[in-house]
Amino acid sequence: MRLATTLAMASMIFAGAVPLLAHHSFAAEFDATKALRLAGSLTKIEWTNPHTYFYIDVKDAGGNVVRWGCEAGSPGALSRRGFKRGDIKLGDMIIVDGYRAKDGSNLIDARRVTLPDGRIVSGASAGDGGPGNQ
Amino acid sequence: MRNHLFRAVVALCVLSAPAFAQELTAPDVKSNRPTPRTAEKHPDLSGYWKGTRDTKPVGNIGKDLPGFKLPLTPAGEAALQHNLTATIDPESLCIIGGIPRHNASGLPFEVLQGANKIAFLYWYSYFRLIPIDAKRKHSDDPDPSFFGEELGRWEGDTLVIDSIGFKEEKVWIDENANPHSDALHVVERWTRPDFDHIHVETLIEDPKFYTKPLTYSRTWVLGKPDEELQEYSCSENNVDKEHLGFGPGPIRPDGTRGYIDPAPLPPPIPKAPAK
Repeated sequence: MRLATTLAMASMIFAGAVPLLAHHSFAAEFDATKALRLAGSLTKIEWTNPHTYFYIDVKDAGGNVVRWGCEAGSPGALSRRGFKRGDIKLGDMIIVDGYRAKDGSNLIDARRVTLPDGRIVSGASAGDGGPGNQ
Repeated sequence: MRNHLFRAVVALCVLSAPAFAQELTAPDVKSNRPTPRTAEKHPDLSGYWKGTRDTKPVGNIGKDLPGFKLPLTPAGEAALQHNLTATIDPESLCIIGGIPRHNASGLPFEVLQGANKIAFLYWYSYFRLIPIDAKRKHSDDPDPSFFGEELGRWEGDTLVIDSIGFKEEKVWIDENANPHSDALHVVERWTRPDFDHIHVETLIEDPKFYTKPLTYSRTWVLGKPDEELQEYSCSENNVDKEHLGFGPGPIRPDGTRGYIDPAPLPPPIPKAPAK
């Protein structure tokens, strides 16, 4: 019962509070059937508009290092969520949960970012119609 | 397992709630504060305006129509199919969204009103500057533009903005890729019924693409005194444009863009307790 209530609360928070804001539709760029978790070290940070990009080196199953781009909301959007530029630096290990680009490139929508200090922040482009932004 | 899941969901809720609390729309409010007025006694529309969370579906110009169904002509239907299958959202390519798309957007905007001109400032650092002069007439052949040739005039306490002369290429009339043609004629009727609200009634005529005029109405609420537009340089690093597909992707039955049943993300990683 407690779990059901909590899930319902979570659902309300995600479904009801977020408007359509992004400069493009999530569905125009990302595949909602391809959810991924990437863990890697930061090699490049672009704190830019219209999106912030993190680039991380990720070891694949064969031990090869593969570079991934992680697309997040604008710097202003992240900042409003308490995710500031000073929270990460090159070489940090971060975990990114998101959805792969429809074109199959190594680009992921950074829907959820676990920072080096363990904080979890939404990296979503607010209101892009993607998962959680109904 | 059940406890782990419970803790994970609680953590996600707690960590995410402050972020959503600071989003760019606002709940509607009741107001008993009177409409502010200028020295000329007109309502002053100036302010930082945020969409209300009960405006649904945002981004859909058919919001007020049954089933969100737009009355497309055959040419309009062909233009819609072209937008869906052969064009990338112009706004995502940093092209001005224009009117009426900006009025359907979820993004806040700011209004600065003078005696003879009014400026609408938009999130992507775009603006439109509209003369307020009942004597001005539309040009015979205005240069096509995204906002059109806009003329403002007061009708009592209503600011009427009449616009013609729009572009037909690289424009979506809303976020769902609906089209408009260069025959578009938009009449916006702006009011400020009290201090905390601004409202528009919009008439949209486009006989090339729509069989009859459309209406679109919407109310925004005043932002907080310290809220204002910030710099947004859309083309600074638009990596997207190399990855975006045509059209907005699927449209849900509720009129919004997006997938109905996305795969779940891996569960959040609970934060380790402080030592």
